[in-house]
Amino acid sequence: MKKVMLICSGGMSTSLLASKVKKLAEEKGLDLDIFAIAAQETDEELEKQKLDLILLGPQIAFMKKQIQGKVADTGIPIDSIDRISYGMMDAKKVLEQIQGYFK
Amino acid sequence: MDKFTEKLESLLGPLVEKINSNRYINAIKDGFFGAMSLLIIGSFFALLANIPITGYAAFMTSIFGKGWSDFFNVPFNISMNIMTLYVVISMARSLGKTYKLNSIECITSALAGFLVLTPQLALKGASGLTGIPTENLSSKGLFVGMITAVLAVEIVRFFENRGWKIKMPDSVPANVATSFSSLIPTLMVIIIFNIIRAVFTLTSFDTVQTLIYHYLQIPLQSLGSSLPAILLLTVFEVLLWSVGIHGSSIVGNVMFPIWITATAENAKAYAAGQPLPHIFVNEFYSNFMKIGGFGATLGLAILLFFFAKSKQYKVLGRLALAPGIFQINEPLIFGMPIMLNPVMLIPFLITPIVMALMTYVAMATGIVPYANGTMLPWTTPPVVSGFLLSGWRGAALNVVQIFVSMAIYYPFFKVQDNIEFQKEQGQAEAEAKEA
Repeated sequence: MKKVMLICSGGMSTSLLASKVKKLAEEKGLDLDIFAIAAQETDEELEKQKLDLILLGPQIAFMKKQIQGKVADTGIPIDSIDRISYGMMDAKKVLEQIQGYFK
Repeated sequence: MDKFTEKLESLLGPLVEKINSNRYINAIKDGFFGAMSLLIIGSFFALLANIPITGYAAFMTSIFGKGWSDFFNVPFNISMNIMTLYVVISMARSLGKTYKLNSIECITSALAGFLVLTPQLALKGASGLTGIPTENLSSKGLFVGMITAVLAVEIVRFFENRGWKIKMPDSVPANVATSFSSLIPTLMVIIIFNIIRAVFTLTSFDTVQTLIYHYLQIPLQSLGSSLPAILLLTVFEVLLWSVGIHGSSIVGNVMFPIWITATAENAKAYAAGQPLPHIFVNEFYSNFMKIGGFGATLGLAILLFFFAKSKQYKVLGRLALAPGIFQINEPLIFGMPIMLNPVMLIPFLITPIVMALMTYVAMATGIVPYANGTMLPWTTPPVVSGFLLSGWRGAALNVVQIFVSMAIYYPFFKVQDNIEFQKEQGQAEAEAKEA
């Protein structure tokens, strides 16, 4: 099971996306756990969870460096979600992006 | 345009990163975040004690007797009305965590430091009884509280880092040892704050609370809650969003302590049945200006949902309307997109400014009452929020605002939709030719 954490400012709009991607992954029979959190919860979640990938909403892409510093020793990849696929809540494209890290 | 936005991005990016990674700003943000649910609950109790319907109070008295309002006032008084206590606790914990210090040690030290600075008064007529004025624990003491929390945690850190603590021989169990080791940092916090307190009793301010309230909190509040400041911040927020940066979290985090003080003061006046002091409170920005999210985009979401010709925007409209009702508009900003889009950025700038002016004029002329100090989650749908904040006239204002938002966005939506529609037609034709 691969664990993917999506982060955005309030955790609201990424949770929209997360539930869509999760549904699509289930339909495809992929072993993925995808969930969304608010930026403020990052530290706590990093302590609690063993993650395989962190994706940021494009609106907080500027936090990439900051969060990267926190997970540097774990080697968890971290990236931001493509703007248009984020806006269109394009689960297919985002899932493709996610799978790209697990090849 | 590309060069311009690149320049804008390289200018704003580092600034935003700096603000966002600032330890103290984050501690303040987390401080309020931690106390938020309690404050929201508390403010609703004030609302329930004072529902503005004629005969409500008499009706309640006839059923529950004279003390009925205490049932609502007590929860309000122990939550929103002493909000600073909770913010200090939550802030000290968050800041302590960033330094990897013991949470309880930070919380108790900060709280003790804050109470040292707060006056204790002898109660009249009750010999030997003293009281802490709750006023100093309310929003009036908020800035003292925030400064105290930061200072106290810094003192704890200073002494922890230098290892100036009571060290026990190895034979002493670890738990026993920690109970001693936290003594010195906490003691130092109390000594330092006590010196500050003592020095202030010699001055004309008497207490630190008076100085900070009059010379820091009030000036910042009147500066940060003026119409020009609001409009300037709106423009700044548009700039951030225009390159895809979450502007609301930046502006909101910095301004929140100032704006929420005004909200709390209105709530206090409302609970006491007095005239509301502030036209500009946090909810003015979050609920009367951001109809459907920053940029007041609910009108745009409605236009896309009902009137889009292009396939792309029909899909987007279906996607964006429901979140828009709950004040979430990332689908529009990134999906349409509004960001980096010179056509859509024009109404994205104009609409929130018009919303601010409409609300300001409606409230200043008394057509719509000031927001009553209820703290709402920012995701509360418009009209509902207007009603809770300013009664039926607030709800009516929201309805008008939605139509105004539609009207402003309409011509730009038309242009954008047409461009997309032509593109789709062109593609369809090209595909038909190939086939």
